[in-house]
Amino acid sequence: MRIAVCMKAVVDSQARIELDGDGNLRQDQLRFEVNEYDLYAVEEAIRLAESDEGHVTVISAGTADAVQGLRKGLAMGAADAIHVDCDPDDLDASGVAAVLAAALHDGGYDLVLAGVESDDLGGSQVGVLLAEALGYASTTLVVGTNEPVDGAMQVRRELEGGEHANVQVQFPAVLTIQSGINEPRYPSLKGIMAAKRKDLAVKGLADLGFDGAPARRVESLGLTIPPPRELARMLEGGAEETAAELVRILREEEKAL
Amino acid sequence: MSRSIWIVAEHQDDNLHTGAAELAGAARSVGDHVAAVVCCEAGSTVPAQAAPFVDQVLVIENAALSGYTAGLWAQGIVGLAKESAPAAILLPHAPLGRDLAPLLAARLDAGLLTDCLELQWEEGLVGLRSVHRRKLVSRERVATPIAIATCQRGAFAASPAGDAAAIETASVAIDDTAARTRLLSMERAEVGEGSITEAEIVVAGGRGLGDAEKFALVQELADAVGGVMGASRPVVDQGWVPHDRQIGSSGVTVRPRLYFALGISGAVQHVVGMRESDVIVAINKDPKAPIFEYAHYGIADDVFKVVPAVIANLNS
Ligand SMILES: Cc1cc2nc3c(=O)[nH]c(=O)nc-3n(C[C@H](O)[C@H](O)[C@H](O)COP(=O)(O)OP(=O)(O)OC[C@H]3O[C@@H](n4cnc5c(N)ncnc54)[C@H](O)[C@@H]3O)c2cc1C
Repeated sequence: MRIAVCMKAVVDSQARIELDGDGNLRQDQLRFEVNEYDLYAVEEAIRLAESDEGHVTVISAGTADAVQGLRKGLAMGAADAIHVDCDPDDLDASGVAAVLAAALHDGGYDLVLAGVESDDLGGSQVGVLLAEALGYASTTLVVGTNEPVDGAMQVRRELEGGEHANVQVQFPAVLTIQSGINEPRYPSLKGIMAAKRKDLAVKGLADLGFDGAPARRVESLGLTIPPPRELARMLEGGAEETAAELVRILREEEKAL
Repeated sequence: MSRSIWIVAEHQDDNLHTGAAELAGAARSVGDHVAAVVCCEAGSTVPAQAAPFVDQVLVIENAALSGYTAGLWAQGIVGLAKESAPAAILLPHAPLGRDLAPLLAARLDAGLLTDCLELQWEEGLVGLRSVHRRKLVSRERVATPIAIATCQRGAFAASPAGDAAAIETASVAIDDTAARTRLLSMERAEVGEGSITEAEIVVAGGRGLGDAEKFALVQELADAVGGVMGASRPVVDQGWVPHDRQIGSSGVTVRPRLYFALGISGAVQHVVGMRESDVIVAINKDPKAPIFEYAHYGIADDVFKVVPAVIANLNS
């Protein structure tokens, strides 16, 4: 089985998010990490590939910040990597899907896995748009896979309120992977060393046949800081004081205990 | 010229999802004609259930549409939209919309805005979306003739029920051999005896507890207040506690008299499952954690310092 996994470098959850005078995100203090959902996707791909001597390619579209994630994917066990070198700020979700599709279309993949959404922008659409651009089937929110049978796979899709759907998906297909499906492995030292020798191909948009960035379907009208919302009544002081005050409030004022 | 907005009706077992009225409300905020598109089998009562919330119900009927199958629902809706060209099509930001909205966007060459908190019309559909873990709001506009958007559950006021709209059956052919995904079966949620949904006091812990061993502190507080232990999703994903303890959109919804959120950040998927609780107490070492926007009482401190002190205080 040949599997590709899409990975995104997302703004680190601990990074300082601030706007400059023009309302743009201040880039100088941003740090990046791998999108958490993508790690579940990488792990699932490696497990599926292990069971039938398959091949896993990790791919990321973005600036040089994308490389760190690809290296991690290689260290976890992917065979090779593709870095589509571009500025994601020039692309909307359909543009990202278009460039990924251009890089993957002749790879002969049976499956392409992606995280359900990105931790920073939460778009939750690139996976399915990529499937459509490649002409693949797709299904989302996958929390369980099964061994493929006759070019198709039965997957477990998470719905709301604890419900699930069992869905049969024909290959080739894109699956978006939800957390809880597995526990991503930590790259071993051996894996990290081996990753350094693995092939990491860099492709620009021109190499993929694009004349500039693909046209946008969605345009940004700007970022704002949300108005402060009313906060809880915050109890101040050391742990002993706040704990005592909380118990007093819950007993005497709220009569909740 | 009147602006027609479609909503895709979500339903299961012949019951319209309550979110449909919210979606109709979202559509009214930007359109002057609202139509509900219902994909169902012949004889379904879902079109009649949707009729009071909208101006028109468009029914795509086929035996193959009874359960949700992405490709077939997309075939029907895309066929209809190409004929009638609505200004926008709205779906819930839920499993249905996450799966179907990008399919519709791809096949209609349309721009898609997901998880919208507010919609506006300004030479096109404008959506407000929360980004960077709720630290910023992004305003985005769709630049294509048809716009697609998914709306966050609970973000839009429901459209009140009015006179039942006319129900029209659309003539779109569905080729059910074309589907490359197929629904095999549904697994219902198991609601156990004495489940967390019935508890008067829920003490929930999140990833901030660190590991399975340290998570025991949550149970200790639950015992001290006579409550039931609950958890956020990462805790369940990592196997610290079983799935029936998960609170939120993909777990259970609770409405206890008293809710403790310990080391939980307050992501929207968690909050939808607990925000109706009578009294909410949050303890989180990050004073900017969104959970404090939903709590009535907050302590911005380390759970491992505060919770043992609370337990000691209760026992003294
Ligand atoms: C489709 C979908 C469905 C989902 N369904 C659900 C669902 O049903 N339920 C759910 O909960 N989530 C759900 N999620 C996940 C959700 O988006 C969040 O990722 C999740 O709720 C975060 O859990 P958390 O708050 O425990 O962890 P985090 O967001 O990692 O927060 C941990 C918090 O702990 C605090 N902390 C750390 N150490 C300490 C300490 N020592 N003392 C005090 N505070 C500390 C940190 O400041 C932080 O705020 C879903 C996501 C998706 C995409």
